[in-house]
Amino acid sequence: MAVIIGLLVGAVRARIGKRPFLIPDLHAIWLVLVAFIPQWAAFYLPLTRRAVTTEWAATALISSQAILLLFAWFNRRHRAFWVLGLGLILNLTVIVLNGGLMPISRETLTKLKLDAPITDWQMGSRVGGSKDILLSPAQTRLEWLSDRFVLPGWFPYKAAFSLGDLLIALGAIWLLWESGGLKMNKKPNQITS
Amino acid sequence: MKSQLFNMSVKASRLNQQHVRAALAIGTLILFVLGAGAPMTGNH
Repeated sequence: MAVIIGLLVGAVRARIGKRPFLIPDLHAIWLVLVAFIPQWAAFYLPLTRRAVTTEWAATALISSQAILLLFAWFNRRHRAFWVLGLGLILNLTVIVLNGGLMPISRETLTKLKLDAPITDWQMGSRVGGSKDILLSPAQTRLEWLSDRFVLPGWFPYKAAFSLGDLLIALGAIWLLWESGGLKMNKKPNQITS
Repeated sequence: MKSQLFNMSVKASRLNQQHVRAALAIGTLILFVLGAGAPMTGNH
């Protein structure tokens, strides 16, 4: 959703400024593709996401995010990547400190109104095929960095997110917002003529 | 006439190249956000 919002605001900015929408040149794009493969298998592919063990999922998540951090470093000349990178570091820190998955409390899970009853989830277990692990606030290291924020009730989409997720969303929007303000001599990728 | 056609095809291929690069950049950003983020959605 952050990318969609970013594309909209960037396009509007370009239109108002009578400039083309120019996406900055990104380095080492292949790193993102390599990084995403283990996460795709562990968290997104229906065939494997519930079959992988918690340990495998944790290893996939941490190694994947470490590679993404490298990608953010290679693209640090874009200011938005400092925000993206910081968000990633915050997420990676709380994930590493809590067994390799993002901690979430029972109270926060209740607010999401999941299909399975809350009692089905055991403390310390992975929540379905997700990146989250159910932990009490007392058990969670750096609890303020965990998935503790929930989208407002009137929002049609239910999600719990962390401070790191918020920074990542803001960084993505900022990168695309800047795309609406670039000039031709910065070697961008022009998508409108 | 030939040069006009040639110029048009060069412009078209340049535009296509730019669109492909832009799509690749946006796709990369989407994957980055999906990979770096760890939100919990209400469908697990």
